Amino acid sequence: MRLGLVAACALVSLTSAAVPARAEGDEDDGSALQVHAFVSQGAAVTTDNNYLTSTERGSFELTEAGINFSKALNDRLRVGIQLFTRDLGPIGNYTARVDWAFLDYRWKDWLGLRAGRVKLPFGLYNDSSDIDAAHPVVLLPQSIYPATNREALLAQTGAELYGFKPLGTRGALEYRLFAGTIHVDLDETTMTQIDRLEIPYVVGGRVMWETPVEGLRLGGSAIAARLESDLRLPTEVAPITLALGIRMWIASLEYVTGPITFATEYSRWTSRLETNDPRFPRRHTTDTRAYWLAAYRFSPLVQAAGYYSIYYPDLDNREGRESRLHDAAATLRFDLNPHWLLKIEGHALRGTATLNPALNDNMAPGGLANRWWLLVAKTTVYF
Amino acid sequence: MKTCLLVLMLVLLVAPRPDAAAETVRAFRVIVHPKNPRTKLDRRFISDVFLKKRTRWGDDSLVTPVDLGPKSSVRAAFSSDVLDRSVAAVRRYWTQLVFSGRGVPPAELATDADVVKYVSSHVGAIGYVSTSTDVTGTKVIVLE
Repeated sequence: MRLGLVAACALVSLTSAAVPARAEGDEDDGSALQVHAFVSQGAAVTTDNNYLTSTERGSFELTEAGINFSKALNDRLRVGIQLFTRDLGPIGNYTARVDWAFLDYRWKDWLGLRAGRVKLPFGLYNDSSDIDAAHPVVLLPQSIYPATNREALLAQTGAELYGFKPLGTRGALEYRLFAGTIHVDLDETTMTQIDRLEIPYVVGGRVMWETPVEGLRLGGSAIAARLESDLRLPTEVAPITLALGIRMWIASLEYVTGPITFATEYSRWTSRLETNDPRFPRRHTTDTRAYWLAAYRFSPLVQAAGYYSIYYPDLDNREGRESRLHDAAATLRFDLNPHWLLKIEGHALRGTATLNPALNDNMAPGGLANRWWLLVAKTTVYF
Repeated sequence: MKTCLLVLMLVLLVAPRPDAAAETVRAFRVIVHPKNPRTKLDRRFISDVFLKKRTRWGDDSLVTPVDLGPKSSVRAAFSSDVLDRSVAAVRRYWTQLVFSGRGVPPAELATDADVVKYVSSHVGAIGYVSTSTDVTGTKVIVLE
């Protein structure tokens, strides 16, 4: 992390030196230093259950900020870095970290290479899930884009091959393949009994087909990863070592035409748990996740959106409130000017899967309210 | 009956929309540098270029698209006709790419005259201006 910040400062210093010349120079030919930033502040309240933060009493612990710098070094090579900080209940606490930082060599349109810390392409929106301005809703469907898993699922350190290939009358293909590791900062998790958490490898890819029907995209993504951890139970002296093999896939559809956006995704995540403690048997679990989202822009100022999201943590067991989370959401987005937006969003939720006992007086999800409401508002300034 | 209506709505929703140019005269002209050998360009190619999905001309030289500002009515017409999305949707597209590190948008120039000046002085450039703009020093491209 410290190394990353030093690298960031060095990059900023180096690239900043070019700014005055660019500012004084000719028209922008795309090689100038680019600086972009955003700051978001949200508030949330629930009728029951604490969700993401202490929402039962109302919470303003929904803050995000980021700034990035990028520069084309020649017509094929680009370098960039983004620093990011957030506060989401117990997560983040305004610690600055490198969100992404990489060299991007675009040899041809059909083949490029990014090396460094690169965002994971998974589904339609994973690599932009923390960018409020890019989406019509405040909380993306949490079944597939869980905000609490951001650190583990958003970016990997390694390399990515990518490309774009027109197919004539059959549309075009956009593809990305990646391999690397993921560093998980324990400060960025809600799990307090973990001594060590590592993801030694993650591999995967995404293919999107831009169909001949204007605005219709179909795609598939898959990720395979291994997670290793030392877990300390309150009653034990020695930690338990566990290994988790994870396989995730998702099928995606997005249709954008004029003011209308429709998107739906279906996903399954499979995990195989192994431990060094015979009291904990090997466990194989497959969950299922899906959502349907629609948005309509009434004017440059106002956009309305809604989605229905479902999540079952165990495909074979859907009984009980702790075994599901259904979320029906409706949002109004106001683009007050090109750099400032406001969103107001209501959720009707059923089920308690994903609720964190640590935020709910250590009550098990089975003991929490089954039907509950969430109201969240968020404003973002960006350029 | 309900099923028929639903099917009809879906067909209407996904059916390709008629080319706006077939119904109305375009409110813009696409221009390139005079040394650019092309006289016609496919609308999808231009869309890919302005969304930076494609960055090269056929001879592998760099394409440099330039936009007008977000409040320009000419840009609104170009976005609707060529990119098939509103200027707001295009800005959201670039927001996703900018903050995930995958690209930066084309430069935005203030006036049509600025676009003409830029395109006339950059061999790989492509831009669009209103039909009433003096495009001397550039070449107008036919959209296919």
